[in-house]
Amino acid sequence: MLAIKIWNYIRGYVIIRIRGLTLERLLNLALSKDIYLWNVNRLSNTRIEATVSLSGLEALEAIVNKSGCEIEIIGKTGLPFILNRLKYKKMFALGVAVFISLILFLSSLLWKIEIIGIEQIPKDKLVNLLKDNDIRVGIFKHRIDKKKVEKIILSEYDFLSFLDVQISGIKLIVDIKELDIEPDRVDKSYPCNLVAKKKGVIVKIVAKNGEAVVEKGQIVEENDILISGTMKSESSDERYLVHAEGEVLAQTRYSHIIELPIVKLEEVETGRVYKQRGLTINDKGVRFLSGNIPFENYTEEVIEKDIIDFKWLKLDFPVKFVTYLFREVEIKEIKQEIEYLKAYSKLEATKEINKQLSETCEIISRNEIYTIDENILRTQVTIETIEDIGRKQIISN
Amino acid sequence: MKKDFDDIKMSITDALELPLDVALDLPKIIVVGDVKVNITNHRGIIEYTNDLIRINSKIGMIKIIGDSLEIKNVLMEEITINGSIKKIEIIS
Repeated sequence: MLAIKIWNYIRGYVIIRIRGLTLERLLNLALSKDIYLWNVNRLSNTRIEATVSLSGLEALEAIVNKSGCEIEIIGKTGLPFILNRLKYKKMFALGVAVFISLILFLSSLLWKIEIIGIEQIPKDKLVNLLKDNDIRVGIFKHRIDKKKVEKIILSEYDFLSFLDVQISGIKLIVDIKELDIEPDRVDKSYPCNLVAKKKGVIVKIVAKNGEAVVEKGQIVEENDILISGTMKSESSDERYLVHAEGEVLAQTRYSHIIELPIVKLEEVETGRVYKQRGLTINDKGVRFLSGNIPFENYTEEVIEKDIIDFKWLKLDFPVKFVTYLFREVEIKEIKQEIEYLKAYSKLEATKEINKQLSETCEIISRNEIYTIDENILRTQVTIETIEDIGRKQIISN
Repeated sequence: MKKDFDDIKMSITDALELPLDVALDLPKIIVVGDVKVNITNHRGIIEYTNDLIRINSKIGMIKIIGDSLEIKNVLMEEITINGSIKKIEIIS
């Protein structure tokens, strides 16, 4: 019933009063003309109140005139009347239109540029870079080409490891991950802190600018502040920001573990081959002669061949002959020389560590630990170095 | 002759267990408590006042007597009457 009510509301209906003497005849006429009437209420002998749909009203008026009755509309309900009223309230309709278009217009503008994850690039420099390329607050969102923005940023900064440009609502979000650059390359006109780029024990700390907040011998974790760019004024309590600079040497450790089996299993083919044939239709296969494979250890090879060659028609015929080849193998245990393995894994581990080491670091010790656990030789190579662990992080307000 | 034909129709309907109102074109009167009467397959309104409604149908006149009767909706096939119903009479 609710659905009918909603439907009637959308179509629109009127409440009418009919005055006349032959009201029953009128109702019957309305029935035969298929006019839908509801809430018919007798008010008095000569008067009747009823509800009729908007489309039914016209048809009803024709009958009413024929039967000599009078019709009076006392109420109008429904969407068509509301829309009709809007015709006369032009300013109101205009206001609605202006409101909707204003919302659409405002939401198609760029309102904010959000930059996440920068530490070594000054924020306003990046914003200015975008502004120079006509990407600033207030432009239309559809004019922003994300690929182009990425290209602009990447061409200016060559030390980014990750860059993602996204438009979310009215915001442009630039997500950046930086690689560590040499402290000299960071723009000196911006205040910054010097933070640790890795865990280590401080050996020497020289602050050229800024205030050293760690001491010799102290263990620092990654991202701890080493030299602070926030300075306290000597004369007053005020704080001011400087571009912290300095050298922080720390003892750092690198280690790498390699595990190798001492007894290696190797498969050697014996030359004996067992063949099975099958048929596949659309990758669902039937295997003929599916007996047991007479080998204990084997390798399997599958060869497919079209029954009818349609290659020249560039068609892949779905029915294929399949040959399964089982080659017998013998598994041989090869025991390797432990001394050779040790030397080999030490070399491999050192190679791995060397990839992580920076060029300027000084190696102070190299240490290997070998442990044999059943069949596994575990080699741990540890290298201790002294290196500059400082990394500049711009202080953003 | 007409009567014979109707009898045959009736017995066939009985044998096949068909709904009577559909097969024999009879009106179907549903009464809900004493507040609502629903008549399908009617043939028009004869009289309509607040306390009496007479409706034509194939089997004759259906007379509904009650207080503050209101025709809730009226269609070609169906008529629904609301109000407090006291008496339903079929005058054939």
